Amino acid sequence: MRILFPLLILGAFVSGNPARAQDNDLEKLLEEESGPQFNKVFATFKTSRIISSQSVEQVKAGTLDFRVTHRFGNVGAGSAGGGHTLFGLDEASDIRISFDYGLTENFALGIGRSKRKENLDGNFKWKILHQTTDNKIPFTLSLFSVATFTPMRESQLYLGVDSTFERKTAHRMAYTTQILLARKFSSWLSLQLTPGYTHRNFVKEDYNPNNQAADENGFASLGIGGRIKITKRSSILFDYFHLFSKYRQNNDNFFAPLSLGIEIETGGHVFHLNFSNSSGIIENDFLPYTQSDWLAGGFKFGFNISRVFTVVKPKM
Amino acid sequence: MKTNPFKFLIFLPAILLATSGMGQIYNGKSMSVTFFSKAPLEDITAINKVSKPILNTATGDVIVKVPIQGFIFEKALMQEHFNENYMESEKYPDASFKGKITEPIDWKKDGTYKLNIAGKLLVHGVEKDRTLPVVITIKGGEITVESKFTITLKDHNITIPELVFQKIAETVDVTLNATLVPYSPKKK
Repeated sequence: MRILFPLLILGAFVSGNPARAQDNDLEKLLEEESGPQFNKVFATFKTSRIISSQSVEQVKAGTLDFRVTHRFGNVGAGSAGGGHTLFGLDEASDIRISFDYGLTENFALGIGRSKRKENLDGNFKWKILHQTTDNKIPFTLSLFSVATFTPMRESQLYLGVDSTFERKTAHRMAYTTQILLARKFSSWLSLQLTPGYTHRNFVKEDYNPNNQAADENGFASLGIGGRIKITKRSSILFDYFHLFSKYRQNNDNFFAPLSLGIEIETGGHVFHLNFSNSSGIIENDFLPYTQSDWLAGGFKFGFNISRVFTVVKPKM
Repeated sequence: MKTNPFKFLIFLPAILLATSGMGQIYNGKSMSVTFFSKAPLEDITAINKVSKPILNTATGDVIVKVPIQGFIFEKALMQEHFNENYMESEKYPDASFKGKITEPIDWKKDGTYKLNIAGKLLVHGVEKDRTLPVVITIKGGEITVESKFTITLKDHNITIPELVFQKIAETVDVTLNATLVPYSPKKK
């Protein structure tokens, strides 16, 4: 009985269509050859931000992204928008000019300057885990951190503060660190969770009249964001942050940042049209200082212009 | 212990393969596939150096496998668009050509042959019957293969978005260069 099996194999070999067998063998030999593995999931999001939130994407190695991010004024008449400002288009809530550079495929550095608070910022994004197609790594994990320095006039910075209060340069600094945890579930759905912590070295002594809570120097936040592809080249984007700040809960002047947008790809360019109740563009600004209410028409039209330069050409 | 007298039969298929087949199988020592597309603003070009060719000189069967994600562009963003939108390389990871050389070639002797190989070209999940012109050069036991041909995007259901700033040509020129040597499995 034991000889039957090899005989069967032999039989298959000599009686089968030889050309066919050869062809299959050839393919098998080719399969056995090892080549580089292309198992990294790409394009979880299309750009380094979902809308307001950072995304797990970052500038590619050796490329420099020059970007002008613009956010107009409030659209709704109930929030100083309406026809007299052409639905906010006359205003510029915030403008940020930034440069981001990909040191490696997984580490990017950025600098920027915003209109609001004249914030100068430096940031980095570090991709620690990269989701793979075989699901051995089921999600992409990045660390993002930004520090800002505001050079605004002392009289402005300490407006309404007791003159005996000691002035320090450190008061001008604020920090946010976030963990970006994203998964591309399918070609049409990507979701991201973004837990983070924001610390401002200096806050004024303000109280929420509704719950008597004082403004905090530091508070945690949890963001959720996503991209839903609706056609081959357009997607709906959203991001939202819950702020673990008692001062900001049930506060008539502070709201959770919520942004909605669409993204259209035009073969080489990605267009973003978005609306957000946040004025600020960077984390240290829009997390603590989103002061418009969507329901009162307090959302702003936003767009950005990005130009990517290849600094270090890949080996061709 | 008694040995089964027929046990050697187990190795027979392997022996057959080794003696009749292996000597005539060639695989890639190096290979590059480049493509070129003319566009008004800038020409688009990419190179792939991780493609794998294999040839059986006894039967004339030839297979080339090109991993789409192995194409390197000068612009990283372009590379991503190429993979995500045009080639959908998560769905269709490889392009391939399977053909058969029918002309008589003396693989043992140095020489140059210009011929056409008929076969199936698979790109973006769509297979097309194609006849590709090749130049085969045999020298000192190494086989070099060169081929230039054109792929029409429409033939392979590759669509160009209507809203493009940079008009992309409907066809791309592909250049393939491979050096093949007697088969040896590439180690991981």
